[in-house]
Amino acid sequence: MHVEFLGVSRERAGVAEMDVQAETLGCLLGALAAMPGLAELIAVDRLHPSLAANLNGDRFISDPETPLRNDDRVLILSADAGG
Amino acid sequence: MPDGYHGCYLRVDVSRGSVERVPLADEVLRQFIGGSGLGVRLLLDEGSARLDPLDPAAPLVFAFSPLVGSPLTTSAKFAVVSKSPLTERINDSLASSGFAVAGKSCGCDAIVIVGRAPELSVLIVDDGQVRMESAAACAGGTCQATEAELRSRLGANFRIASIGPAGERLVRYATISHDGRHAGRGGSGAVLGAKNIKAIAVRGTQRVEWAHPRELTAISKDLSRRSFGPATAKYRELGTATNLLTFNRFGALPTRNFQSGTFDEAAHLSPEELSTTRTKTRDSCVTCTIGCEHIYSLGEAGAGGQVRVEYESLFALGSLCGIGDADVVLRASQRCDELGIDTISTGGTIAFAMECVERGWLDEPWLTFGSGDALLRAIDLIGSRHDLGDLLAEGSRRAAHAIGHDSIAIAPQVKGLEIPGYEPRALQTMALGFAVGARGADHNRSGAYEIDFSDKVDRRHVTPDAVHHAIDTEDRAALMDSLVICKFLRGVFEDFHGETAAMLHSVTGWDVTADELRETATRIVAAKREFNLLAGWTPAEDTLPERFLTEALPNDAAASLTFERLEALVTEYHRQRGW
Repeated sequence: MHVEFLGVSRERAGVAEMDVQAETLGCLLGALAAMPGLAELIAVDRLHPSLAANLNGDRFISDPETPLRNDDRVLILSADAGG
Repeated sequence: MPDGYHGCYLRVDVSRGSVERVPLADEVLRQFIGGSGLGVRLLLDEGSARLDPLDPAAPLVFAFSPLVGSPLTTSAKFAVVSKSPLTERINDSLASSGFAVAGKSCGCDAIVIVGRAPELSVLIVDDGQVRMESAAACAGGTCQATEAELRSRLGANFRIASIGPAGERLVRYATISHDGRHAGRGGSGAVLGAKNIKAIAVRGTQRVEWAHPRELTAISKDLSRRSFGPATAKYRELGTATNLLTFNRFGALPTRNFQSGTFDEAAHLSPEELSTTRTKTRDSCVTCTIGCEHIYSLGEAGAGGQVRVEYESLFALGSLCGIGDADVVLRASQRCDELGIDTISTGGTIAFAMECVERGWLDEPWLTFGSGDALLRAIDLIGSRHDLGDLLAEGSRRAAHAIGHDSIAIAPQVKGLEIPGYEPRALQTMALGFAVGARGADHNRSGAYEIDFSDKVDRRHVTPDAVHHAIDTEDRAALMDSLVICKFLRGVFEDFHGETAAMLHSVTGWDVTADELRETATRIVAAKREFNLLAGWTPAEDTLPERFLTEALPNDAAASLTFERLEALVTEYHRQRGW
């Protein structure tokens, strides 16, 4: 599946998007936590409350058991989206 | 009198240059705290809801708070509260920073201004003593030039809030500026201009006691420490402008007067791209540990000066007007700051006029979407009220009534206040927040967008189940605006009401609880409602323009609202409020 980073997560990841093999949201976040810039923002299989994850631009997801498919796109963005 | 307060406000009649020191009852302070809450209470006491906001008798309140002057991060803020000349409803705008500390040091918790000075004047509040001087030398000057001139004349330890040329000319969305920041929305600058006051200069030496200084110090240190963490990283690292690409990705970036939720040229305006082509510095308000201000150079080698970049300015003067040239958008933002006009209402009104031209309803062929020259020309016309600018200076609602053709259906406003950068059809909890907002469509009085960007709702099909979330964000905003602390701290709190109660206890000594603060927030929101009722509010005002309820977004058919669905949300909101 494909990950898109927006805002702070993009700055920390150093890339705008990347492909990751993961069957669940928890697995995906576990993989992302290995990236040094993102480690502070991910606790094991959960995002820091300042970040949110969205599936395919439609619904926001937080349950680590949320299943992901190969053609899914997960967006990682700031939770406090406002100004 | 509780600690943290002076227990009085100054009521200044600028017609006569007289001042009265009016006591504030302890129960009023406890019930309304300060900032927006205290300001609204004072306006109600003044009986001002039925007055024309530009009438000399209409009061303008500068309200401080018990936390001002404390070491609590982001607490150096003040509220400017009046009836809005743009909406004819309550208006509370907040700004930072040194003016709040200096104003409170004058020995008062608020300054209420009434009357009209016989000539353009500067009101000087010097340690509680009031005098007025001619501001003739500042007439027509920008906010920045006025502040510099007055600090040079009066002394560097004065803090100055001023209006620009737009405030002098009563542009209905003129701002009050201080140190480059603005009490921006709703036209408080026009209210000050109607009083013939170009600026207010304050300095003082009077301090208040803190009830529990050691406790306050500990809370302040802990809050500052947490404010350096991930919860504020967005503001520190990229600023609010980072919303631009996020909102564009979600089809929520208002574009071409809300005809679309995506803008092809959004990347050109993003902080990620701006940072690669311009030098950038950061700044922060007095006592703030976040440092959200990202200031970019403008023009060749920075020859055009510097400009603070915020999401709302980028959206309103960029995508909303179809402009993707960052140089133009930054220059437009800088020009709004100089003239002293709200960037959201400026961009919203110009974008509305651009669509009217596109539809053949307005014969100004030069004013087209995507034209940077047109945007900059329109801004200058607004500031001077020349030609078309005289109409646009009235805001989109009044302009629509003058233009006709049922253009009110596409005027991007609620209660007359132009809609900020959140596409209501793509963010429908926010749509409710806009519809019911006491001062009109506003993202600082309702944080309901946070709910849309969460797993609590389907943001494109929000149901009445979400209403209590919208109420909660509105109440929290009212509390933060009355304490006053910056909303950029909101992610830092683990127990918002408990922690803010502890802050207030340490400053005032009140045995205040989290539950009491919840009740206080509800009381403040209700007071705003009471003001609006007295000013003539009717339930029909709690809605959105017809466009949002009859047209889906072009690239996102799921992002649609109807009259019936919005009405169901508003009805449930009123029911839960007990109104």
